[in-house]
Amino acid sequence: MSETSTATPTTEGAARSRAGTGRPPWTLSGGAVLVAALFALPGGYVLWRALTGGALHLLTERRTLEPLWRTAQLAFLVSASAALLGTALAWLTVRTDLPLRRFWRVVAPLPLVYPSFVGAAAFRSGLTPGGIVHDLAGHLGIDFQFRLHGLAGAWLVLTLFTYPYVYLPVAARLSALPSSLEENARLLGDRPLQVFRRVVLPQASSSIAAGSLLVFLYTVSDFGAVHLMRFETLTQTIYRTRLFDQGRSFALALLLLALALVVIAAERTVARRGSRTEVVEDRSSLRIPLGRWKASAVATCSLVVGLALFAPAVSLADWGLFGWFRQRRGLAGLRLDWGDVAGATWSTVWVSMVTAVAAVAVVLPVAFLLARHRSRVGGIVNGVVVAGFAIPGLVVAISLIFWTLHASPFEFLIGTMPILVFAYVVHFGALALRTAQVAVSAVPRRMDDAARLLGAGRLRRLLTVDLPIMAPGLAAGAGLVMLSTMKELPATLLVSPIGFRTLVVEIWDTYEALYLAEMAILSLVLVAISALLTWFLVVRRADHLS
Amino acid sequence: MVNIRATRVDDTAPAGLHVNDLSVAYDGPPVLTDLSLEIAPGELVALLGPSGCGKTTLLRSIAGLERPIRGTISVGDRVVSGNGAFVAPERRRIGMVFQDGALFPHLDVQRNVAYGLPRDQRRSGRVEEALAMVGLADVADRMPGTLSGGQQQRVALARALAPRPGVLLLDEPFSNLDTTLRLQVRAEMHRLLVDLGVTTIFVTHDQEEAFVLGDRVAVLHDGRLAQVGTPDDLYRRPVNRWVATFVGDANLFRCDRPNGSCRTPVGEVPVLVGCDGPANLLLRPEDLAVGEGDCGTIELVEYYGHDAMVHVLLDDGPSVKVRTEADLPHHRGDRVAVTYVGSGAVALGL
Repeated sequence: MSETSTATPTTEGAARSRAGTGRPPWTLSGGAVLVAALFALPGGYVLWRALTGGALHLLTERRTLEPLWRTAQLAFLVSASAALLGTALAWLTVRTDLPLRRFWRVVAPLPLVYPSFVGAAAFRSGLTPGGIVHDLAGHLGIDFQFRLHGLAGAWLVLTLFTYPYVYLPVAARLSALPSSLEENARLLGDRPLQVFRRVVLPQASSSIAAGSLLVFLYTVSDFGAVHLMRFETLTQTIYRTRLFDQGRSFALALLLLALALVVIAAERTVARRGSRTEVVEDRSSLRIPLGRWKASAVATCSLVVGLALFAPAVSLADWGLFGWFRQRRGLAGLRLDWGDVAGATWSTVWVSMVTAVAAVAVVLPVAFLLARHRSRVGGIVNGVVVAGFAIPGLVVAISLIFWTLHASPFEFLIGTMPILVFAYVVHFGALALRTAQVAVSAVPRRMDDAARLLGAGRLRRLLTVDLPIMAPGLAAGAGLVMLSTMKELPATLLVSPIGFRTLVVEIWDTYEALYLAEMAILSLVLVAISALLTWFLVVRRADHLS
Repeated sequence: MVNIRATRVDDTAPAGLHVNDLSVAYDGPPVLTDLSLEIAPGELVALLGPSGCGKTTLLRSIAGLERPIRGTISVGDRVVSGNGAFVAPERRRIGMVFQDGALFPHLDVQRNVAYGLPRDQRRSGRVEEALAMVGLADVADRMPGTLSGGQQQRVALARALAPRPGVLLLDEPFSNLDTTLRLQVRAEMHRLLVDLGVTTIFVTHDQEEAFVLGDRVAVLHDGRLAQVGTPDDLYRRPVNRWVATFVGDANLFRCDRPNGSCRTPVGEVPVLVGCDGPANLLLRPEDLAVGEGDCGTIELVEYYGHDAMVHVLLDDGPSVKVRTEADLPHHRGDRVAVTYVGSGAVALGL
């Protein structure tokens, strides 16, 4: 009857709900600014120390430029190979008729459960005398001399344990790509490979770029793997010079910090650009028949997953079982009893749980500010929190240690749990913020309005509407923080109170002392816990979606 | 807080609503400009307009979800916004049903409906009463996610009505439902609202919906009130060309002296409401008829079942729309004559 009845009614309401009801209340802005101040502390202190330390001229020295050059070399190599590997696996598992696709899709991201230094330790210990590769070769009469170290070692290990950062976003992007796009390209005359190059790759490129930049960030921040591989990057130099050449240490920390911030800024720009394209969930994606390439595709997947997932587990299990049997036969005692393992496990679990809860609580006001109000304060606070994530754990640790040492009113914090939790929260708060922000925006604005009109005040709305609806999302964020915290090496190593020994600290010390069997047992426990937590997060998320 | 809740319980009569010179702006030009509207207790008023005209903003300002920059809003005798006062939405005695229902997904139907009741009334039978009102007493224990769209909207209505609000606001409450369900839910709600005598303001962009439900319809255009009146007022006596074309199909003929009667390509038309100077004469499609003749050619025939719309290109003028009975003896391409069969037209100033 009337032409207007077909007009869409939603646009107006949508625009309104995004705009929010004007300016945020000052309590919220104030809280967010306070949070930002906390998150800015480590970076700010590094900046201040570097600028006032009179060591900035060192930045142009050869001795400084060498680790920078090595860091850049490694980071470029690792991100390039991780991008290649992650994209190839994503395309194979999502877009082709690869046999056992579902299996590959489950196992492909799993190497994330290994902290890179545990992976590096597993590889190195597998190749040394007593390790599975060395011993097997010995049985075959080969004197196995190969040792993994230096650039090649660091590159291999970091590639294997970081490619999931590319795989995950690219696989998600590819499976969300509507098949109608490809079908149209086919109908318009493209052959399958042309479709990949002209349609699929351009659609996935922003995910590939964002993932690769995360790998780049991970690599420049990495402390444990490069240490084990004896490859001196910036983190190693900073660590080595922190006690006796603090000027240099802080100047390099500033350099690393700047590098990390540039990378994370680039990542956010790229990711934001990518998210602009429309995503349609469509399960019936086109599958490209691999034909005669099927065998080599399976071989590639097997090789990657075998090296990144099964090889470290086998190597660690071999050392662990070897040590355990040796003790059972009474040959040589493990320098570790179950009490030590249980104690370290308990410390790990509870400190990461405390951190997770603290992180979610701290970022919640920021999440509300970002999701409910559009304000300049929100943008700045968000930037500061994300920057906290970009700053390498080592830099956060060193900054907080020397800040507590030099800021006399805060001396009482030296070597205490609060400062350790603070370091973790600054470093991983962004993970909680991202999920909390999603959780807050998952509460429709109208839900809050509806509660208001039914007479509920702010507190009642928060307790009876917002928090219950957000709970699954907040729990996922807490889980992510917990997972990252239990795997964090440098911050734990440097900031932990004396006598507080988590799994990573024990693993580190046993490896440095070459107690490889003990190292293996502790690593297996850590990997098992983080695998369990990952599984919970993934399964829970799957439930949430369905 | 306690006092307010107490007054809300006792004061169950529907309230009138007065909007005076209201202006609302987000950062930028005003979304609503100097808008005034009087609504009597128990009246059912539709806010009609194209998307972006400000109708949802008006509704949200009445609810207290937006803060006007000027003007006053009163519910009954109480100024809730303006003159330096601003009553928070949770204290206004206003109920609202949102486009998607906005039921709390983590609470069952019963708890959703009880949400707006004071603690001591949650077990007083009021919840059951409200659910029975919308015919959903049997789903009290279900979670909202397991209900159909129509049921969700009815629960949302029960939830809004349970605290006995003075004014009820509905924000495009049927737009998320598919056609058949929409008509059914609409008829049920209509009957219920009339029976209860609640003062109701609802927003819609659908002219048919506004006409069917509204005792009166307020048409909004670009943040201003274009016209308020009964559906028949708007359809028969629109105040300007924009309203005329927005609320229905219109044939407009230029007329230089719209007094007495006026010559048009479809013959002599008596002018009921004239004006000074040149104007457009509004002829609704049902004021015209198609007959045997040789004045124009049928361009299109749109068949609707209960009737049909015929587009005729006149030889000496524009294309006109004519509403005819469904079993039309003519076809596309036929030569026909168009005659005026109405009882008089309105002249709309240019």
